Amino acid sequence: MLGFSHSFLSNFLFWVTRKRWLIFTFVISLLLFYIPSPTTLTPEGHRTLIIVVIALILIIGEVIPLPAVAILILILEVIFGIDTPNGVAASFMSDAVFFIMGSLMLAVAIVSQGLDKRLALGIIRMTGNRTWRIVFGFVAVSAILSSFIGEHTVAAMMLPVALTLVRNTSEDKAIVHTLAKLLLFSIAYGCAIGSIGTPSGGGRNVIMIGYISEFGLGNISYLDWIKYAYPMLLIEIPIAVLILWVTFRPEQTILDSAVRKLKVNVAKSGKMNGNQIMAIFVFVGVFFGWVFLSPYLGLGIIALIGVFLYLSFGLIEWKDINRNTNWGVIILFGAAISLGMQMKETGAAEWVASQALTGMGNIVEDIGIQRWFISVFLTGILTNFLSNAATVAVLGPIILDMGGNPVILCLTTSIASAFAYLTIVASPTCMIIHSSGLVKSNDYLKAGWKLFIMSMAVLFLVSYLYWPLLS
Amino acid sequence: MKFLIAIGSKEYSEPTLRLGMRVAKAFNAAVTIVYVGEKISAFSTSGVHLAQENLKNWELDRQGVDVLAWAFKYLEDNGYLSTGSAGEGFNIGRLVQTDEDRCEVFLEGNHTQEVRLILRNGDIIEQLRDEVNKRAFDITIIGASNKRSMAHDLIQYIDSSIFVVKNYQPDGQYKMLLAVNDAPNTRKAVKYGARVAQAFDLYTTAVTVSSTTDFRENYKKASAWADKFLRRSGIENEIRLEHGRFMEIMSTIAGDNHIIVMGSSTKSPLAKFFTGSKPLKVMKHCKCPVLIVKE
Repeated sequence: MLGFSHSFLSNFLFWVTRKRWLIFTFVISLLLFYIPSPTTLTPEGHRTLIIVVIALILIIGEVIPLPAVAILILILEVIFGIDTPNGVAASFMSDAVFFIMGSLMLAVAIVSQGLDKRLALGIIRMTGNRTWRIVFGFVAVSAILSSFIGEHTVAAMMLPVALTLVRNTSEDKAIVHTLAKLLLFSIAYGCAIGSIGTPSGGGRNVIMIGYISEFGLGNISYLDWIKYAYPMLLIEIPIAVLILWVTFRPEQTILDSAVRKLKVNVAKSGKMNGNQIMAIFVFVGVFFGWVFLSPYLGLGIIALIGVFLYLSFGLIEWKDINRNTNWGVIILFGAAISLGMQMKETGAAEWVASQALTGMGNIVEDIGIQRWFISVFLTGILTNFLSNAATVAVLGPIILDMGGNPVILCLTTSIASAFAYLTIVASPTCMIIHSSGLVKSNDYLKAGWKLFIMSMAVLFLVSYLYWPLLS
Repeated sequence: MKFLIAIGSKEYSEPTLRLGMRVAKAFNAAVTIVYVGEKISAFSTSGVHLAQENLKNWELDRQGVDVLAWAFKYLEDNGYLSTGSAGEGFNIGRLVQTDEDRCEVFLEGNHTQEVRLILRNGDIIEQLRDEVNKRAFDITIIGASNKRSMAHDLIQYIDSSIFVVKNYQPDGQYKMLLAVNDAPNTRKAVKYGARVAQAFDLYTTAVTVSSTTDFRENYKKASAWADKFLRRSGIENEIRLEHGRFMEIMSTIAGDNHIIVMGSSTKSPLAKFFTGSKPLKVMKHCKCPVLIVKE
């Protein structure tokens, strides 16, 4: 046909089918480009929103590598005349990007110390051999640890503990499939719940703090964040345990032999070595740095100081950090934050915010509920299909332009972005437990929808009953 | 010859592996057995890799290694591995990372030339296509899938012959059904079919279907050639000239106790993409294993 060989046509069709979202993006962006700008929106704002649409489709579809999406965002910001090359470059790097970079590197450094066996022993000593107590221990420890050191670090450390308990119970997957789901979801949901506790729980928290600071809307310190968010974390732990227990009630109510075997396994690793003690010491130093020095140095720089110490003390090799750090994600978050800044600068964020509020105004009159719905429900839904940090990077400027108390909106948005319970792609922790091969995609919905609704309800109550007492 | 056998799990892939290895033995082919794990979101790759590396410290295997270990055991138990390879047992340490998302174990076969076990992650069609393009496999063997587009994508995008092991009962009494017409691929299909029929000692029916009662001369010639070839190969066979709808006739004759062998469509990829093809319909609707032979 038309002189093309069958091989060429076959390759072409394969490319088209695999890249259909890319083609769709191109077509939709062309259409949007030639639609006249609304009168209330500047031409720069209009073009910024086109980039937002392009980025969202490409990120959700994952049709091109994430760094390519990041590069495209930066290129389009310049080509569309939204900012100068130097302006785009300046908005690309921020303390939030340093923090994401530093926390990903810290994750590699911490996981490589083999502290997970100590952790396993600690949990088992605390919980004993009753399954429900072990589940409570998993959720609580995952939540508390991930509030300080990031979700996927904790998930990577906890995964082998859960899998060892499952394997020690039975090698037959049919016998232990419910137990496996229960333990694995305890980790994933525990980590998600925990990530709201402190700014260092997730890159998205730092992105929101960065936005309110950059936009001159206020400041929120590390300790202030804890005061607002930690009670919610603590309330959510028993709720998550209950929901998981009801959804995945296992046949094994006592894991006696599995726990004994785990203790034997852990005992083989001997006493804590010097490197492990040093690793804990450095991290505790980083934590205190975040608490007391972040107003002066920034959360990102302190995370990087931690990485520097791990490297210079020989606790981790650069090649290990290099191999296990997702540089593509760092570049993408840099570009997403840059895009967020441009949304604010060009008035695109304000325009979307006013449109959203007008639309919501037809359904509910109360402006507070309108803001709450957009910042919580929209963020919560989008975070299940997009990365939570990318969700916050894009929605953050819009939500902060809706009026109201920016600190409260910052917190509700960040917290809602942790409600990543419904899909495999919702967060790295969901993907990590899925990679075990023991949980299926529909399992996420089984327990996830209940926890999603309960989390929204808890956030509503906390924001209306507890937060006013703090201000 | 090189065969690629795609397996999914211990629970469901046993018929695919069993039939695939028997066919590979008939062709004295080098065999690669591949397990394709689910695609990891680009946001989560480092987290998942970190978790997988950590599993090693606990002597736990990542997803898919257990499936490869099971495949190794199957090969060992059924004498497909040389004494050297079998004696060493399946050792995770022999899994060599050859690419970011690809690991392999190289083994020495007994009847076949060589055996590789491969672990990959990603979209199954993309991974199989990449494997076939890099190592030029002659036949890709895969179990049937519930995914609607799978049959289409296999035929459309995998550049090797495709053998879909559908509803295969290891203890069933199978016959062979060869679809014969004047298309260039038919001769290759008959040769492949004959080889399988010889190895499995299958009674073979070579059917030529015409849409009208008037058979074209080329159809008659092709049918006669197939008859001659099968007889010379010592295969007990019958030749049938049928008229009517191709799909209905194939489906009626095949039932669930035949292995269907037919050539791939000669239509252009664009026409196949939009209007489908006879092999695609056979693959979708027939309830038995189907081998589509490509040039």
